[in-house]
Amino acid sequence: MESGRTEIEKVWIVDANVVTALGKDLKGTWEGVVNGVSAIREISRFPVEGYYARMAACIEGLGTSQGRSMITALLGSLFANMRPVPPDAALITATTKMGIDNLEKLQQKRPAHAPDILLSCLPEMVSQKLGLQTTGINISASCASSTIAIARGAGLIASGRAETVLVCCADVVTEFTFSGFSALKVVSAFPCRPFDRFRSGLSLGDGAAALLLMSEERARKEARPCVAVVCGWGASNDAFHITSPAPDGSGLVSAIGQALSRSGLNESAISAVSAHGTGTVYNDLMELTAFRRVFGGRRIPIYSAKGNIGHTTGAAGGIEVALAARALAERTVPPTAGFNAPEEGAQGCVSASAVPLEGDCCLTTNSGFGGINAAIVLERGGDA
Amino acid sequence: MIAAITGIGWVSTESMGSGRHHQILQSKDGKLPTLTSRMVFGEVSPHFGRLDAYSKLGLAAVTFALKDARQDQWDEKRPAGIIVSSIYGCLATDMEYFEGVIANGGSLASPNLFACTLPNIFLGEAAIRFGLTGPGFTVNEREPAGTEGLGLALCGMFLDENPMMIVGTSDPGCPALFPYHVEMTIGALFLVLEKHPIDESLSYGGLDMTREGEVLFNGVQIQSLASLFQRCLPRCVR
Repeated sequence: MESGRTEIEKVWIVDANVVTALGKDLKGTWEGVVNGVSAIREISRFPVEGYYARMAACIEGLGTSQGRSMITALLGSLFANMRPVPPDAALITATTKMGIDNLEKLQQKRPAHAPDILLSCLPEMVSQKLGLQTTGINISASCASSTIAIARGAGLIASGRAETVLVCCADVVTEFTFSGFSALKVVSAFPCRPFDRFRSGLSLGDGAAALLLMSEERARKEARPCVAVVCGWGASNDAFHITSPAPDGSGLVSAIGQALSRSGLNESAISAVSAHGTGTVYNDLMELTAFRRVFGGRRIPIYSAKGNIGHTTGAAGGIEVALAARALAERTVPPTAGFNAPEEGAQGCVSASAVPLEGDCCLTTNSGFGGINAAIVLERGGDA
Repeated sequence: MIAAITGIGWVSTESMGSGRHHQILQSKDGKLPTLTSRMVFGEVSPHFGRLDAYSKLGLAAVTFALKDARQDQWDEKRPAGIIVSSIYGCLATDMEYFEGVIANGGSLASPNLFACTLPNIFLGEAAIRFGLTGPGFTVNEREPAGTEGLGLALCGMFLDENPMMIVGTSDPGCPALFPYHVEMTIGALFLVLEKHPIDESLSYGGLDMTREGEVLFNGVQIQSLASLFQRCLPRCVR
């Protein structure tokens, strides 16, 4: 296998689904997002009396049985509306904390299935559920976990190492994560307001996504629809600070640059940006700086779905890629829920209303603790 | 050949250091050494002392590997990434953190400890210390072989994504009181892979990958990172 940029396979997304607090599938979630609906409510899953903030986007009735993690219930909904996954698909999952709800139970002396706590349990669960030949792997890179999982899946196909890869991601709201983000003072007391001047932090959310990637050749052979094309991907580290993003956005600019280079496109081909847009002061400022460095003075439409579905941590990238593919298909840039008074640099880019998406390509980005950044360039499917 | 191995670093229950400069540990209790910044960097670093055991273990082995490859000194940041495979990762830190939540109420949870409950955090520490701007992420697989991470690194290098990658495994083992045990060797082992080594004499050998995803070292298929290490050992000196 010789190194180089020749022999690169085109990567299609041939099927996608999500489960969020806004909808039990991609259709329901998209409709909520495009209509500006927020699923962020007061938390009833665990006691929040001791916290300064009490809101998150939790899926109602996400139950557990026989000591299993809430992730098992989430996966059950996720695969209900997908076409069969080929048994020979490679499998890459993404999660930050997997069944951490079960660690909470164990430490509170309640019965719980301990293996669910290990991150490697997610690919095992998915593989068994779908009858795949592989046991798969999990990737964990904080809030960019699933973006990197998609990038690595696309890389496997592009390099000819796999014909089809299932990327599956999931994370749930637990007291463990909520208390931690609260301790860091980055949780908003009200539903998060990405890119708004009066934003004060993030809102967590439950979520899962599954995206079936396939080489163009295999997809055509199987008569699979092209939901979108993964044209480019990139990832970088700020090498700046563990929990704060580089203020100059240099890491994110680098990841976007790699994704554009891989896609063979320049920035003028990008018609919309699905931003990480957590609603924290520093993340949103960093992103606006990075987008200004990439797109110059162009007023490109930018949106964040986190005001609708909350920050789904390790699942955020996967859900947002699925939504961005839908945005391309519907030729609509969704509004940013919670956005009202523009942060400097957001004027004319971020909107509280849906706007037409004029063009064929979209950029999605995520950044996370540890200084990680990741970017994906998507092209509209259908007639690709 | 996709990449050459130019550096090896490890911390085990028996020895620690790098391929070209390592020491046998005197301890025979089967435990990993208690790492200090002086042992790892040769200087005092208060920041190192604040890291959890999993982060210290991984950062130490990454540091030893970079020293071995003569890549520990830098003037400008470089696009090198890190991939670490782990089974238990920072689970012991997770347990310690949540004990604090239970004991003190969530409003008094430790933000510093929470930051260490993500298994990729020490990769960020290594990125800051050594100016590494490539991607850093954790791979979790059922078997603790470490070859999946190696395969992903080689795949990315094949696609010209990064000219240098640091790949390895790091696992402090099953935490006390955790009821699910996976058979494994505790410790950390990292390799520095370079697409275009500046000094060919530093190479332990070449890595390649078949279209089926098998990893080859000097043309021979390898089954685990540990077996790859064994093949490199004849070139290691003490």
